[in-house]
Formats: sequence, C-alpha cells, structure tokens
Amino acid sequence: MRFLRTFLRGLAKSWEFIRRDKKAMAGAIILFILLLISAFPSWFTPDNPTAYAYTPGIGLSWAHPLGTDSFGRDVFSQLMAGTRQSVMIALVVGFFCTILSVAIGVTAAYSGGVIDDVLSLGTDVILVIPTFPLVIVIAAYLKGASFWTVVFVLVITGWSYGARQLRVQALSLRNRDYLLAAKARGESSWYVICVELLPPMTSLIVANFLGAALYAIIAASGLQFVGLANVNTQAWGTMLYWAQNNEALPAGLPLWALAPGIMIAIFGSALALLNYAFDEVSNPALRPVAKKRRKKALA
Amino acid sequence: MKKYKVGLATSALVLVASTITVVGPSVVGLTVANAAPSQAPLNLANEQGALWSCAFNPFVPASLPYSFGLTYESLDFVNALQNGKVTPWLASAYAWSNSNKTLTFTIRSGVKWTDGVALSAADVVYTFDLLKKNPALDLNSVWSVLTSVTQSGSKVILNFKSAAVPYFFYVAGQVPIVPEHIWSKIANPVTSIISKPVGTGGYIMSSCSGENIQWKANPHYWQKADAQIKVVNMPSFLSNNTCNEYLAQGKSAWGSQFIPNIKSYYVAKKAGNTYWFPPVANVVLFPNLTVPGLNDAKVRQAISYAINRSTISKIGEYGYEPAGSQTGIVTPTFSSWVSSSATSAIGSSSGYDTTKAAAILTADGYKKGSDGIWAKGGKKLEFTLTTNGGYSDWIASMQVLSQQLTTFGIKITLQTPAANTFYANLYAGKYQLAYNAEAGGPTPFYEMRQWLFSKNSAPIGTAASSNWERYSNPTTDALLAQYGTTTSVATQKSIVAKLESVMVNQAPVIPVLEEVDWFQYNPTTINNFPTSTNPYAQPGLYNQPDWGYVLDKLAPKA
Amino acid sequence: MRFLVRRVGFLLIALWAALTLNFFIPRLMPGNPAEAIMAQYHGRLNPSSLKAIEAAFGVGGHQNIFVSYVQYFADTFQGRFGISTSYFPVPVTTVISRALPWSLGLVGVTTILGFVLGTALGAIAAWRRGRIFDNVLPPVFVIISAFPYFWVGLLSIWLFSLTLNWFPTLGGFTETATQAWTWGFVGDVLWHSVLPAFTILITAIGGWILTMRNNMITVVAEDYVTMAKAKGLKPRRVLWQYAGRNALLPNLTGFAMSLGFVISGAILVEYVFNYPGVGFLLLNAVNSEDYPLMQALFLLITVAVLLAIFVSDIATALLDPRTRSER
Repeated sequence: MRFLRTFLRGLAKSWEFIRRDKKAMAGAIILFILLLISAFPSWFTPDNPTAYAYTPGIGLSWAHPLGTDSFGRDVFSQLMAGTRQSVMIALVVGFFCTILSVAIGVTAAYSGGVIDDVLSLGTDVILVIPTFPLVIVIAAYLKGASFWTVVFVLVITGWSYGARQLRVQALSLRNRDYLLAAKARGESSWYVICVELLPPMTSLIVANFLGAALYAIIAASGLQFVGLANVNTQAWGTMLYWAQNNEALPAGLPLWALAPGIMIAIFGSALALLNYAFDEVSNPALRPVAKKRRKKALA
Repeated sequence: MKKYKVGLATSALVLVASTITVVGPSVVGLTVANAAPSQAPLNLANEQGALWSCAFNPFVPASLPYSFGLTYESLDFVNALQNGKVTPWLASAYAWSNSNKTLTFTIRSGVKWTDGVALSAADVVYTFDLLKKNPALDLNSVWSVLTSVTQSGSKVILNFKSAAVPYFFYVAGQVPIVPEHIWSKIANPVTSIISKPVGTGGYIMSSCSGENIQWKANPHYWQKADAQIKVVNMPSFLSNNTCNEYLAQGKSAWGSQFIPNIKSYYVAKKAGNTYWFPPVANVVLFPNLTVPGLNDAKVRQAISYAINRSTISKIGEYGYEPAGSQTGIVTPTFSSWVSSSATSAIGSSSGYDTTKAAAILTADGYKKGSDGIWAKGGKKLEFTLTTNGGYSDWIASMQVLSQQLTTFGIKITLQTPAANTFYANLYAGKYQLAYNAEAGGPTPFYEMRQWLFSKNSAPIGTAASSNWERYSNPTTDALLAQYGTTTSVATQKSIVAKLESVMVNQAPVIPVLEEVDWFQYNPTTINNFPTSTNPYAQPGLYNQPDWGYVLDKLAPKA
Repeated sequence: MRFLVRRVGFLLIALWAALTLNFFIPRLMPGNPAEAIMAQYHGRLNPSSLKAIEAAFGVGGHQNIFVSYVQYFADTFQGRFGISTSYFPVPVTTVISRALPWSLGLVGVTTILGFVLGTALGAIAAWRRGRIFDNVLPPVFVIISAFPYFWVGLLSIWLFSLTLNWFPTLGGFTETATQAWTWGFVGDVLWHSVLPAFTILITAIGGWILTMRNNMITVVAEDYVTMAKAKGLKPRRVLWQYAGRNALLPNLTGFAMSLGFVISGAILVEYVFNYPGVGFLLLNAVNSEDYPLMQALFLLITVAVLLAIFVSDIATALLDPRTRSER
C-alpha cells in the first residue's frame, strides 16, 4: 500500500516534469500518437495494407502518400497497420523486463549473502549468453511464433542487464546512512526497499524500462528484418524485410525501406526523450538546470 | 533471402577495370603473368550466403558448386534445355545393350589430369567404386540402381538392376570423375580437405580464400579451342542484395541472381546488360493426399482452377517465373512434349476458371456456407499452406495464392517455417498443402517420376525422397517403369502424354509457376553466352556441370 | 583475498552453467545437419545417402544424452569443436579463425572508440550542464542511438554509397583483391570499413554519452566534489580525477560486457554490409543449423564475456572499496 502510494506520487511528479520539459513533452506526444494509431489502426489506414491493388513501385502521390511497394501495396497503410505490433512488443517487453530486473537486482543487493550469490549467479549466467545471437537461435526454432512467444524470448534475454545495473546501484546505496537509519528504526525490509531504497533508484529503473523497450523494438525489428519472425504479419521490421528482399533502395523505391526505419527511429526517440524527464524526477541532482538558468538570467 | 542462393554454385563474370585500380598491383600482377595482351578477368556473381570452404570435393554439397564442371568433369553432358541432348565429354562414346540394362562407355584418349597423368578407364571405375564404398558421397544414389561397374580396356561397363535409360542422366551427366592416383591416397574421402584439386577441366584453381576463388585457364585442356578466358574470379557473397549490386555496378558479366525490378536495377545500368530466364522445372503445390478433403481429386482440381497463376507470377516473381500448367510440362523448354488431349481437358481458360472450380465442387456435393467457405457434411475446406521461410519470393507468391483461394472459398492459413523445419515436415508428410520445387531433369519425365512414382514415397512420419503428397497408383507406376525400358523418343513422348492426363484428371500435385534458371550476362566483351536461340547448356551458375562447360566455351571478343 | 576467491568461484560456476546451456540450446533446435543438406538438394538426395551423411556427421542414432554431455565437456576443454556442417569438411576452428579478425578489427575498434568518445562527451556535457553543449549534443545522440542500427546501415549505404558514390557498398575489401599485408590491400580494407564503422559508432556512442552524463551529474553533487572545488583545485582536475573517475565506475561493467561482445561481431551491421565477420558467420550457422559451428561460437562469446566481467569486477573493487565490503 505504501509502495503504491509512493509509486502514484512518483507518477504525478513525473507528469509535472513532462509538462515542464519540452523534450519530454515531445516524447510523450509522439508516444501518445503511436498508441492512438495502435489502438485504432483503421482510422489511419486509408487502404487495405495487404491488397495487391495498385501499380507497383509508384512514388509520392495524393492517393499514396508514401507510394506503393513492388507488390502494389500502399506503403503508408502498411506503416500504420504495422504500428500496433511494433509498439506493443516494445512496451510489453519493457514492462516485464523491468519487473524482473527490479525484483532480482534489488532483492539480490538488499539481501546479500546466499540469496545474492544465487541471484547474481543466475543473472550472470543469463548475461553471459550472447543475447541477440540467443534471440536469433530461439527465433529460428520458433519461427512464425506468436506475438507472446516473441515477447517471452525478448524478456528472458533482456532483463539481466538491468538487474545487474540495479544491483550495483543498490549495493552502493545499501550502506548509506539513511538506509541504515531506517533499518535501525526497525522498519520492515519491504518498507526499506520500497520507501528508502527504490525511490532514489527511480531514474535507473525508468531508464531500464525505456532501455528494455528500446532493446525490444530494435531486437524485434532486427528479427523481422532478417526474416526470423513471422513475415506474414504487419510490423515495421517485416516491412523492412520485404523492402530489403526486394532491394527497395537500389531498385529505386527508397521510401519503402526508409519509412519503416524512420517510424522505429521516431518511436525509439520518443522513448529516449522521455528518459530525460524521468531522470529529473527521481534524481534531485539532475534538476538544477532550471535554477542555474534563472541565476544566469538574474546575473 | 531469395531461393536460389541456397543450393548449388557460383559466379559471374566481371570486367573489373575499376576493381584493379582500387586494389593496386597485386591483382594486376596475376593477370599480366598469364597473358601478354592483358585480358580482364571474368568475375562471376552468384550468391551462396557463405564464404568458400576451399575444400574442392565434388561429392560434398558445400564444395560441389565450385568443383564440378570447372575442375572435375563428367562422362557426358546432358543438356536439359535441348530435350536431354547428349554431348560426349570424358567418354567419347556410349552404348546401351542387354535390353537397356548394360551401359558401355568408351573413355576418351588423350585427356590428361592437370598434373600431367593421363585419364584412364581405371579412374572411372575407381570413381564409381568410391561412391559405392562411401554412400555419403553418392549424392544421386546411382548405386541404388547399379549392380556392377567394370573395366575392359578403354571401356567401362555399367550393369543395372533393371532397364535404366533415364539413369543415363545421373551416371553419365552427374558423376564427376576423379583421379585414382590422387584420391586413392586420401585417408577419408568424405572429410578430407582437398585444397589442390586435380581434375580434367578447362580451369586450374590458382588461389582460394573464404572470400574469393581464382582459376586460370588450363593450358593443356583436352578441348584445345576452349578455355579462352584466362582468369576467372568467383567472390563469395553473403547476401543477395550485395551480389545484385555487384552485378548492377557492372563488376560482373555473368550472374545468376534474382534481381527485383531487373529492368531499372540491372538492364538500364550498363549497355549490353541482358537477362534470360529459361524455365527448367515446376514450382508445385503439394496437397497431402492423406488429409481429408485433399484426398478428393475434385477438390484438388478445383484448387488448380481457382488459382490465377499469371497474377501469382506477376506479383510474387515480377513475372520472371511464368505461369505453370496442370499438365506438368514446362514450356517453352519442353513444348514438344505437350499432349493436346491433356491441354484440351484443361479447357480454353488455360487453367484459371473460378466458375468451373465452383461447378466441380458443387457437383462433388460441396456447398458454400454463410461464411463463404465451401463445405460438405459439415467439413469445411480450410487448410494450412506451408512454404520455405527462407525464400521471400515464394512467400510473396503464396500470400497471393492464399488470398485467391480464400476469396474463392477455400480458407488458407499461410505458414513460413525455417527451411529445415519446412523440409523435415514436407518429407515426413506432416503438412496439408506445401509449396516446393524439385530439380527436374533433361526431359519432363524426371519431374513426373519424382512426383508420381509410389516407391519414391514413404509412410507418413517417414522421410520420403520425393512424392511427398503420397500418391500411389499401379497404372501410373507401370507407365513410369515402361519409360525406363525405351530409348525411342516417340514412345517416351506417348508415355509422358498419358502421365499428363493423370496430372490433369487426378491433380496429384498442382504446378503453379515454372522455375527458371536465373541468368544475367553482358556480351559486350565476351562471346558465346548461352541464349534462347543457342541454349547449349543451362546458364545458371548453380548448375553443375553446366556452368563449367559454359566457361569452357566463352571467349573474349577480339 | 576472500573477495578474489568468491569471484573466481563465480567465474567457474557461471562457466559451467553457461557451458551446460550451450550444450542444450542447440539440441532444442528442430532438424539436423543432414536434413539441412538434404534440403539443399531439393530432393535429389535419397534416404540411404541421407543415412550415410548422418553417419559421417555423427548425428544419426540417438546417443545417450549424458554420454554426449560428458563427451562435450571433454571435447571443449581440448579445443575440439568438430567439423562445420555448412563448410563441410572444414574444421570449425578454421572457419571461426577466418572470420574473427574482421570482427575484432571492426567492432573492437569501434567499441573502444565509442566508449572513450561517448564517456568524454558525456562527462563534458554534465560538467557544462545547462550550456549549449549539454543542451544540444546529448539529446541529438540519444535520438540517433535510438535508431535501429541496421537501418542506419541501410541509410548510409543509400546515401553515401548509392547516391553520393563516396564509399564502397559491400564487403570487407574489394572482392577479387589478393589478401596480403600490402598498403594497397590495407587501404582497401580501411576504405571498406568506413561505413560499417560509422554505423556502429554513431548508434553506440549515444548510450555512453547519456549514462556518463547522468552518472556524472549525480557525482558532481556529492560532497567530495564540492569539497574538491572548494579547495580550489583546477576544474579540469576535479572533472577527470574526482568526478570522472567515480562516475565512470558504473559504466565499467557495461564497457567490459561490450568488449566481451566484440567477439560476436555486430550481427546485423555485418549482414547489411556483407562484412565477413563472426556476426554474419553466426547468423549463417543458425540459418543452416550448423550445430558444431554454432556451439563453438556461443562458447567463444560466452567465455569472452565472462572473463570481461570478471576483470571489470576486480577493477571496480580496486577503484571503489565500497562494493568490496561484502557484509
């Protein structure tokens, strides 16, 4: 309960900072638009994205804002229809990775001893397995797998980095005075972790969420790009696969290959921009910028 | 990734003035050493998706593509583009006897291995014995039909278990002959690395790295007028895109690539850039005949009529691979084999007629449900269709085909598993509909036999070598056996005509498109490329031994 | 000493666990190499040849899994990784040793360069917090590093190679060049590495800038830095020797790991640029289900990462006594 309250307070604070920070606001707006497209793709999709209905390989026009691909499908419609899968993979993977990272990393650091040994060992083992190669291997095994299978693969390979980072930071916080004081007061471990230990780490936790989401969108797109994901679904990486296999760039259809990449880049940038604001929420040291500026203005 | 990178071979000739300037003296030195009027090396462009292993064993899949044809040669050359026309090669003559159960080759005299030792009949016998002792090397399973191979002077006598006319293609055309005096000293012919190959071919390997293989013309080649190109390079390409770019940039005069938008991407880039895609086999929809619904010939016929092959060709393959025919005959390559009665049975629609497809299903007792799907006795016509997830053009083709069938009322779910999963399931019969191609052969019979011969099949769960749909019909088997006993082309054609009727009436498999040889070339500085008017060999660089024999014939323009 | 023993123990246990995983993962894959070869033959190969090929690869029949497990450890410690199935009959070690220098050169150099540049830029940005450098540079690189790196590769091919014709598009060197330590060839290799190196660098550097900047901002607020400033030490000295040193610590593990991962190459960048390194080799091994090659590559990368982490742990402990005081 106390944790929930701390969490909600954190969220409210976050919103305050997003509102004040132009970069974060830009990130939030982009994210909102992408979520809207994901929720209601048909509002944004003028054509059936899978219909081979038009002249292949035509350029910009009013009817086809981004032209058509070499199969005669509307590129813009495919882009919109692909938003849902790409955005959802990133957010869902980011969420589960963060839960795992926090649970394992912080528990290990706070508990110490055998628990730390076992958890750290587990983290290290997952960590030393080459992540993207492993993802490729498993994806090859599960070719044509469902959305959730891809999520599962990316989560089990994606949490360890964050867990290790969080453990390191938690370790260095563990012996700080205010934590020792709370322990000395006889507070429960839950209280100490949630109220004293986690809040100063929010920056890193959120950074980990954003990092994991970023990892997910890029890894998932990479899998789709090399044809290891289900190429019959609508996603940005899948578009890149088809563009690459039909050599959109040298064959004179650059929009087909560039547009999905730009969407991934925009989405990734939104995640990165938001990172800025969240850092400022949790880490008071990051805040003084505004003050400094004001001082300068006064001087 | 496109399909043709997977299997066999290599190359593209490139005139590389630009390359030389970048690299500097090292490459130039090689060419200068060989020819006084410096002749640009020929660079080959065929993507294999791997670096070269530099193990020149013509019986091992990884190295066969760059060993057989150029270094090692066969007894005869059988040309699939000219109805199996035989050109004597290392054997100067052959003859069938003993009711076509014995085949006698006369080994050419005056042929020398590249180390100077003369080729003898003993080398040929040794080669066949090698395959017998090491079944892993017998890639065409010639010992499944042979009983003995013996020498008699300059003659080699092959005895078969039964009349084996069609096997001539495999024993004479597909077995690379290796030198006994070298190979008998190799400890393990399956796993040893042969880094300095000794063959009879027109080219001698001069250097090999993972990234490039270089050959120089064999100055003592037995075909004196041949092997005119002095230096041949074959860089390895790890992906289709990079190889296509190499071709488009004019660095290669001979390529074997699937190039999207070939007119703007390749033809328009350089004067002389030309392509020719001769059809050689079929890409086929295999219905699993043990699956309810698909075991009904009427349903299979309806599927054949309900698919618009020319649309699939246009969207999935840029029109490069022409629409196939339910007769199973690849045209124009094998036009003389087309049976008029089989084509007239298909009707004037040339195979696409949804009205007829609907009529066939209605007559068979099917009704279209409210969901638009045909059904009989509560059983809906809905199937999964699987194709090799490594071939993007096949996936695109099947996406179109799935849409067509689903619109017609046969619901298709497309699956695109990894290559090995796909093949394992196809071979074991664990699929409903599958899209795949086979190698074909020098006449339409070879594909027909692969599709229809019941002994090629196997029970569900066991890997079948072909006939994956599990078709079994004694009459058809008898027809196929009869073909093997005759060397008369007229009789062979009448047998194939009957097989075409089987294809049309029972639709055991459904040909969709015609598989072509991918072939781009630039004849500006090089003569004698194969063309539609002079198809003296298959021009795709992944055809063994054809590519080597084409290289022998190429000549620089004066 | 106790600390060292613990870390060595970890190293060994993690090594064992990773080896075990490495043993089982390829065995969870469907199919086998002989089937893969049969697949290449489009049905030309008949089942009896298939059996013979299986025998040649030693994959036929079902060997007791425990026996193969023990055998696997024995082979691994003797450096016997078998014969590659996709490059048959070339030994796995030969195949890898051909690809390794390309990845080490390209990815190794760009990783170190990216870390050094990114860390320096991040530190400077934090130090000059609020100035134009801090307001422009980190956000720009943060956005760039959020780009899918393989797509950045495609973009740079399109822009710098296809459109402007400044650089070669593909490969590690001119396809038909003779490989030798000549100026011509080395220059050719460098020329070919510009675009892939640029792609890796530009997408990797942002991460270092951001993490260093954030660490630095936290550290700058610490008392000892304020103290150092108050003592009148030169800002440059405070920046690098006080704040920088401590802000660097959390990044060290990350850097160690990325060094370990150098060995795996940059898979998709190598794929896009047709670069003949380990990354592409691995993609290739997975696609062709080359078990021996795949296992050896996994092992190589695993050991490299493990050792890198071990070294970073030791280094962190030496530099920051707090993490050493175990309990």
